[in-house]
Amino acid sequence: MRRTVGPLLAVTVALVLADSAVVTLALPDILRHLDASVGQVAWVLIAYNLVLGLGAVPAAMGLARAQPRVLTAVGIAVFAGASAWCAFADSIEVLIVARCVQAVGGALTVVGSLELFVSEYGERRGVGVWVTAGVVGTAAGPFAGGLLTELISWQAIFVVQVPFAVLAVPAALGARTTVPTTATAPAPAGAPTAEEPAVAPRKRHRPALAANLTLALVSAALTAALFLLVLLLVEGWRHSPGTAALTVSVVPVAALAAAPLARLLRPPPQVEVAVGCFLVAGGLAALAIPPSAHLAWTIAPQALVGLGLGLTVDQLTARAMEMRLPRAEHAGWTIGARHLGVVVGLAILTPVFTADLQDAQEPAQEAVVSIVLDAPLQPQDKIAVAEALGAALTDQEGQVPDLAPAFATLDLEPSERPAAAALERDLTGQLERAATRAFRDSFLIGAGLALAAMLVVLVPRRRRVA
Amino acid sequence: MTGRVRGAGTAAAAALLVAGVLGVQVANGGGEFEPLRPADACVERDVTAQADGIEGLTESLVLLGIDGAACRLDVSRERLTLDLAQPGERTDAEIDALRAGLKDAVVRMEEDGTLPPSSELVDEALDSSDLNGFVKGAIRLLPDSAIDSALKTDDVLTRAIDDLDLRELLADLGDGDELNQQIEDAVTEAVKASLADRLRNLV
Repeated sequence: MRRTVGPLLAVTVALVLADSAVVTLALPDILRHLDASVGQVAWVLIAYNLVLGLGAVPAAMGLARAQPRVLTAVGIAVFAGASAWCAFADSIEVLIVARCVQAVGGALTVVGSLELFVSEYGERRGVGVWVTAGVVGTAAGPFAGGLLTELISWQAIFVVQVPFAVLAVPAALGARTTVPTTATAPAPAGAPTAEEPAVAPRKRHRPALAANLTLALVSAALTAALFLLVLLLVEGWRHSPGTAALTVSVVPVAALAAAPLARLLRPPPQVEVAVGCFLVAGGLAALAIPPSAHLAWTIAPQALVGLGLGLTVDQLTARAMEMRLPRAEHAGWTIGARHLGVVVGLAILTPVFTADLQDAQEPAQEAVVSIVLDAPLQPQDKIAVAEALGAALTDQEGQVPDLAPAFATLDLEPSERPAAAALERDLTGQLERAATRAFRDSFLIGAGLALAAMLVVLVPRRRRVA
Repeated sequence: MTGRVRGAGTAAAAALLVAGVLGVQVANGGGEFEPLRPADACVERDVTAQADGIEGLTESLVLLGIDGAACRLDVSRERLTLDLAQPGERTDAEIDALRAGLKDAVVRMEEDGTLPPSSELVDEALDSSDLNGFVKGAIRLLPDSAIDSALKTDDVLTRAIDDLDLRELLADLGDGDELNQQIEDAVTEAVKASLADRLRNLV
């Protein structure tokens, strides 16, 4: 039983942090199934991150007044119950409330698990496992959510979390209770392995402002990468959630490759974080300018983003917690910074790309009209195509339209069908171009956020004398 | 190797990676993957009709006419088409520009020799007309040269365009039969008027 405590808690921490973005690929399905507006659906993401971000530090403070294993078990139970509630939500309002409850349980789970990891594995390894579980969860969330949505349904995203969390409740209750009182650095990639000096218990340190601010900015930028990319793939380029999930799996794979790369190059921690931010910025800039709507053009940019994610998040989390007490409270600050960063990212990017999508409608419509007017079809067929397209555009207003149903309704002569098929391909290509153009500014803003994070890292700071 | 050198090496490797990825994207047209921009409606374009006979002629006239109207209104032909496809009242400016654009199209086709002589259109016009069989047969017996000298295509088309109630025509765009009826009525009236004028001139 004891051997399973750590892995079960690690999976639960990964699930809690994966939930930050796990529903991204399911948003279109949720929108349709719960008959919600785009603004309401965005709150399924925002509410969770907001409550988790705001709740992490108070949850950590609560740990000081209660048994960590009990509070963690309660947190996991709340998280499991709320996950089940999300799966059975029959309205968008209920889903948003359930997500808030899920985040409250998640906040208790994440900060409580840190204490239990340290009890199980010791200071350095315990913090290292906690950080790694968080990075893997964050990076793999959209991939897992997209795959489950494609294979089963959006509800499956929440249902599969329940058994893991239910198993983690007894694991938390059965965890060791002795918590070391030293605060030492975790073991980020490339970090020195020497033991850190002990710090007197009960001492309180101020939160690491620069590291947490950088975490928030990087998280906002990563939101652009994960949230916008999956929207572009599913809504703009019309790929299935499963295909989109497989495509964005490049990010977690590259994030895992970052650690051995950092061990090979062994840059100073500050340079490692700055380089990570730069790679995220470069990846986002490249995502802003794909040469076509072929999925292959997103691979290398995503690899840059994934490498940047792997180099920054664990290193920054470690720096924000390094030599600071109480440990759980500083862990809470890092969770708060990351998830409020996601909320800020969504708050900045959502209005920009929705406005850009709106603005993209006119050039897209004009491009469609231009191609229909010049299409090698008989005049009466052109009129039929125009009427079918007009109806499709009206039905799907506010979204990037799917033209296939409009063409499927056309009654054309066999001799006209090749030309109609070519026309459909051309028109779909124009819509892909318009959607890609509409996402450009948002990706570039994301790149700007990553560069701002890099500047925060590079700004020289006054050294504190011990 | 010192930390500074390792840091510089890592930064240089990152810069190379980012430059490489951005360079490949840009070299393959990244940044230019945008929707087609509407062409300037005032620049003459070649129009190829897909239909034959009267329908093909109408198609060419409409495509060229929209260009001319859009140029007059200082909008793209795509914008004008979208506006005209919307339900609602047409402005006088739109109707005037459309009529003038269609008449410009007749002139352009006459000038570049793409306007067919009336004799090429007579058989098709008679097939769809409600004249009695005796009259149709009589007209079909006339030599082409007689028909061409009696009816000038550009004259008939210009008169038909003047006769057309473009507001009503645009309102009935979705009803093919109604549309054909309006065009047929306008062309019939234009043929009568053209013939009457020819007779007056002969007298």
